[in-house]
Amino acid sequence: MADIQFVHIGKVYDGDVTAVRDLNLDVAEGEFMVLVGPSGCGKTTALRMIAGLEEISSGEIHIGGKVVNDLAPRDRDIAMVFQNYALYPHKSVYENLAFGLRMRKVPKAEQKRRVEEIARILGLGEMLQRRPAQLSGGQRQRVAMGRAIVREPKAFLMDEPLSNLDAKLRVQMRAEIARIQQALKVTTVYVTHDQVEAMTMGHRVAVMRDGELQQVDTPQRLYDAPANLFVASFVGSPPMNLFEAAVERDNGRLVCRIGQTELELPADLAAERPSLPNYAGRRVAVGIRPEDVREASGWDGVRLRGQILLVESLGSEQLVHIEIAAAPLERSDLIDTAAQPPGPSLGVEDHERAVTLLGRFDRHLLLAPGEAVEVAIDPRLLHFFDLETGVAIPLVELPVAAEVAR
Amino acid sequence: MSSVTPIAPTPVAPAVPRTAGQSRRLGSVGWNLLGVLVFVVMIFPVYWMVSTAFKTGQDIFSYTPKWFPLHATLANFGDAIHRQYFWQNVRNSLVVVGVVVTLSLTLAFLAALALAKFRFYGRKAFIVLIIAVQMVPLNALIIPLYIALSRAHEVNKLSGVIITYMTFVLPFTVWTLRGFILGVPRELEEAAMVDGTTRFGAFVRILLPLIGPGLVATSIFAFIQAWNEYIIAYVLLSSPEKQTLTVWLASFTTNRGTSWGPLMAGATLTALPVVVFFLLVQRRIAFGLTAGAVRG
Repeated sequence: MADIQFVHIGKVYDGDVTAVRDLNLDVAEGEFMVLVGPSGCGKTTALRMIAGLEEISSGEIHIGGKVVNDLAPRDRDIAMVFQNYALYPHKSVYENLAFGLRMRKVPKAEQKRRVEEIARILGLGEMLQRRPAQLSGGQRQRVAMGRAIVREPKAFLMDEPLSNLDAKLRVQMRAEIARIQQALKVTTVYVTHDQVEAMTMGHRVAVMRDGELQQVDTPQRLYDAPANLFVASFVGSPPMNLFEAAVERDNGRLVCRIGQTELELPADLAAERPSLPNYAGRRVAVGIRPEDVREASGWDGVRLRGQILLVESLGSEQLVHIEIAAAPLERSDLIDTAAQPPGPSLGVEDHERAVTLLGRFDRHLLLAPGEAVEVAIDPRLLHFFDLETGVAIPLVELPVAAEVAR
Repeated sequence: MSSVTPIAPTPVAPAVPRTAGQSRRLGSVGWNLLGVLVFVVMIFPVYWMVSTAFKTGQDIFSYTPKWFPLHATLANFGDAIHRQYFWQNVRNSLVVVGVVVTLSLTLAFLAALALAKFRFYGRKAFIVLIIAVQMVPLNALIIPLYIALSRAHEVNKLSGVIITYMTFVLPFTVWTLRGFILGVPRELEEAAMVDGTTRFGAFVRILLPLIGPGLVATSIFAFIQAWNEYIIAYVLLSSPEKQTLTVWLASFTTNRGTSWGPLMAGATLTALPVVVFFLLVQRRIAFGLTAGAVRG
């Protein structure tokens, strides 16, 4: 077991394509670190640099305090699980599991003991003599995991190991990998593009985009306090609602104007975000999580009027698409565009000023498309971002529990 | 109401799928017949060669074709084997084929490895060239080839034939082997390297066993090409003791006619090594060996 450190790591392909830019990241001993981001964000490149399968253009990678830049993969004592498993097709499951031990000259009897133990734990005991071609997808995945575990390496590196499984198996293996990691307490770096995997598995999650690290934090902190518009739009499913609003000062009160509706920003909210008053008279990006969008009955605060476009029932709740009057974000380059809900409804003329708001509503509410609806927005649940840079207007450090009044 | 129930139209329902099944079965019979027909057309010349080799002279020249060699004889084989230069020419053929197969496979393997695994300047052009060069009709080049080889004093020598054979065997073997190497996912070697092998170790322990079938298939091709080649050998090798078996076969046709029986016996003998070689190695051509390495 060992910690892994990226120190000013950069990767440039063919002289001009930058895959990773000045990456600084510490993975603590025994930690489960997830690298997440859309495809092409440099997460896999970063992982392969730890493994030694990709040359490091600049900076240093330390494993267990030792610089490994010039070490061959086999001398780094790490194990890797590949996206396509990369099982040796001409070797049996037993030989696949034992290969790493054999290469490291572990005595035969010890090899047998360890392989059989791993096979028992992973439920592969009956399959040791089979070839990978004779296994199901889930079993192959287990063999790939077993091959990494049996070596008892300093660290596990996993490159989207679940993306080839069907949805049900993926959820099951997700828990299993997390459980194994907890039991073995081996430092793990896990790459995925699936933010649900990232949130559920990682002790900490590092969000990357275009080769740059956006934010590293625990899943909950990432969700509650995204550092910028990209993280806000990437983390969470369905994603955060984002639109433009104006911050104005009105008789000493701070007001947020969404479309024609004015929301008063209470004094304690401004106190939490000391720089927010500086934005008075300017436009900002505002975000709200779908579960914080509420149907307005019984709410005595300001309401937003909207029209229901679509109701998606999820069984336990319903996802409601509501069109409201607000300005959509102009700067689509600051957000994860793949996660954005569709634009306003067809035939809306003044579409510049309409935004689709996604709300997670109680399943007992009777709602139908076309209906007018009023939603309550608690200004304390809003997220504020600088419109130019996309950076969150910072919160003063507060305990998580006190941050959001629910 | 209850009296109506028994008259349910049960017998009608299965009738429809039966006809569909029947027509499907008829269709498959038709396809099978077609397959048999194609097989017969393809196998007949081979059968005729082998059966003629066992026939007596009378049966060969009989006006009503003899479908089976009823009075089978080995005399034709005796004639062929005892014909002048037979053993000498067998040796020549073996030398030519042996050298061509070993040399082309070694060179092609290294070239294919470079083309598949490394990026270098001119790689694309090289690949295009390999395909383009195979489109040139070789027979059109025989005279220039002859002139070039004669200047290099390589005419009427086995080495000259070997060099010429390499020019058309190599491009093909490089091309096929490259395909086989590309078929092995890069991650397999990477996994081996992470597991504790050197780059060379990963090559020997993982890549080589996986492209074994490819090497075998390619060697069969090179063997057949070199063994069956006639025109180049005929043009380049003038003295009978230097010729290969295919040229030797042509010597059965003289000004006084063709001795069909011994010719067919000789042809059968010539075809034999290819068949034997194929039977020996065909077990190893287990295609789809890489299945299961990565997601199926």
